[in-house]
Amino acid sequence: MQVGDEMGPFHLTVTREQLVRYAGASDDYNPIHYDDEAARAFGLPGVIVHGMLNMGLIARLVLEAGLPPGSRLARYQVRFRSMVQPGQRLAITARVQALDESRATLNVSLGIPGEKPSVQGKMVVQLP
Amino acid sequence: MLIEHERLGTRSIPVIHEVERGAIRRYALALGLTNAIHYDVEKARVEGYRDVVAPPTFVVTLLPWNIPGLHLPPAGVLHGEQAFDWSQDSICAGDRIEVTGWVADVKTRGGMHIIGIESEGQHVDRGLAFHARAVLIVTEEVEHASRR
Repeated sequence: MQVGDEMGPFHLTVTREQLVRYAGASDDYNPIHYDDEAARAFGLPGVIVHGMLNMGLIARLVLEAGLPPGSRLARYQVRFRSMVQPGQRLAITARVQALDESRATLNVSLGIPGEKPSVQGKMVVQLP
Repeated sequence: MLIEHERLGTRSIPVIHEVERGAIRRYALALGLTNAIHYDVEKARVEGYRDVVAPPTFVVTLLPWNIPGLHLPPAGVLHGEQAFDWSQDSICAGDRIEVTGWVADVKTRGGMHIIGIESEGQHVDRGLAFHARAVLIVTEEVEHASRR
């Protein structure tokens, strides 16, 4: 691994089933994540993906598919810039911003390819 | 009232969470995680853990919402930012984590409130597990909808 290395794009689509599973697993029953009508009442285009599900999916793909096994998150921060909807074709990317023997800092993003990322952030990973 | 400014920074009463295997398993499945350390006790132990390991962002399920001085509307609150720092002592099933939270800062711009909430989880008797910071956004419409 070197500074400037890119990981991904890792492609994925979030399904409504995943939203329901995530709502249950995280005990987050905000109706904007499962009820289109309720979501529209709040000015949204329809149900949207939980920010924390997006955050978790980025971590999953970067750690499982991009980094060496045994890597561990030490710090992770994201900004939720725009809504993500179920059914959208999404891509996750990561780029190594800094590196020493024990830690890597990566800039990460999730969004529709070719558009401004919906989620952007940074993670510091303890390498094995 | 959304925020009682004089109570900003006051920590919530600590709550102890007992982390369960089933909760870790459901959370890991919801993210589609494939690493056996989240599901299989024996494999987690071979990797040096006490029990199945919570995925890092699992800590969101432990965060306190009953925070002094903060009265969030029941629906429509937007999540603007989230940050976590984790200690090396990963959270595993069977752990007891004591969690407390507080409003760190509030900005109001044109009727929109941007609320920074921080929280901390301690392994009971063993030191820090995580520090978290969430930024929540409450728009004017959402604030007023909750009053009707």
